[in-house]
Amino acid sequence: MMAANHMEEGIDVTSGCRLVECIVVTPEETALQTPAQFVALPLFDGEIGIAPGRAPLIGRLGHGEMRIVEGKKTLRYYVDGGFVEVSDNLVTVLTNRAIKAEDLDPEALETGLEAARAKPANTGELMEIRDRAVAQSRGQLWVARRNR
Amino acid sequence: MANARALDKRRKSIRNIRKITRTMELIATARFKHAMDRASAASAYTDRITRLVTKLANTGLELSHPLLEPHETNENVLQLVLTSNRGLCGGYNGNVLRKAFENNQSLKETFGHCRLEVSGKRGISFFEHRDIDVDERFLHFEDKPSFEDVELLANRYLEAYATGTIDRLEVCYTKFSSIARQNATVETLLPLGELASEETSGGDGGDSRSGAGAETIIEFLPSAESILEEVVPTSFKVKLFKCFLDAAVSEQVARMVAMKSATENADELIRELSMTYNRARQGQITGELLEVMGGVEALKT
Repeated sequence: MMAANHMEEGIDVTSGCRLVECIVVTPEETALQTPAQFVALPLFDGEIGIAPGRAPLIGRLGHGEMRIVEGKKTLRYYVDGGFVEVSDNLVTVLTNRAIKAEDLDPEALETGLEAARAKPANTGELMEIRDRAVAQSRGQLWVARRNR
Repeated sequence: MANARALDKRRKSIRNIRKITRTMELIATARFKHAMDRASAASAYTDRITRLVTKLANTGLELSHPLLEPHETNENVLQLVLTSNRGLCGGYNGNVLRKAFENNQSLKETFGHCRLEVSGKRGISFFEHRDIDVDERFLHFEDKPSFEDVELLANRYLEAYATGTIDRLEVCYTKFSSIARQNATVETLLPLGELASEETSGGDGGDSRSGAGAETIIEFLPSAESILEEVVPTSFKVKLFKCFLDAAVSEQVARMVAMKSATENADELIRELSMTYNRARQGQITGELLEVMGGVEALKT
């Protein structure tokens, strides 16, 4: 909840670089808490990039790739829906699941996508449910494929 | 003579049992700590969701969603009962099952059809014993229910509620309020009812940074309505997950307490038996002494 000690007003005291504090929370654990120079998130209707000093925002997340740029390192995660809240250089990502991109297995996901596509869609509600499952599988697959 | 040996044998077996209960107590304590950590990790998520809802409400948006509204028909109800797979946990299963049974009876009266889903072997055998059909049984929720598993369940309920297959969802579980207090409760999770009740409970727990954020203008992407559409199912899922976590924590507490009292009881028994054993042994020795002395007396004459 609190920013890391070396941060002051969103500025890293040690390097003088502008940073945001990024916290990823899932219902099971706080998956990640790290300072970052830039965070890219999959919103419900497209990707958003968050740089330090972003105006307060609450967004609905889609299923896709989250990138956290920290120095020369880029952390890549698959996030499974949820929300993002930005205020005062604090990026809070609330998601059901945050899976490291390396941990995704494209072959298994391929069959998952097929299964999602095969779901019945004869009523409005069922169609919505199917679309959600398909979007989830597609998002995972997309993140997994970028590994190569 | 046989008496003393029998007593010693009993004492030995009680000692063995004591060893087992003591170990179980220690295991339950360790598991309880683990379960507790998970529960508090989950509350970090819940608090943040609650704060989000508060901010949404502050924008003046009317909180309405199909999941918040009760259905007009009252025909199908689904009852979910959370019990443990294993026994030896005192009144834990008994309490929740008694509550669930009462609830099941009253639901059957008010609703046309009551579908019953039970997690845990104990609950399943309880309902089977009473000739109540269990429609769905889960055995995989041990002391560490994973969100993924619960989410599958939650999604199924959400689907059923959206398509109108069920009109209400009731969950019977043991609510954990503190180490000394766990109550068997029945909660109606669908329709969700008020989101507002959560706001007052945890909304003010935020730090100063978020407090400042509440006054500033917040941008909603894509729109506040769209976020609400997602918040409501999410808070349902989290609520259901919380039920599972509470049940897991309560089970471990119940086992811990039960095993602690079993160990204490064994200690007491051992003490009493030792006393009787010693007395019997002393009596035996006295008897033998008397015999010897009698023999000496007989030889003298």
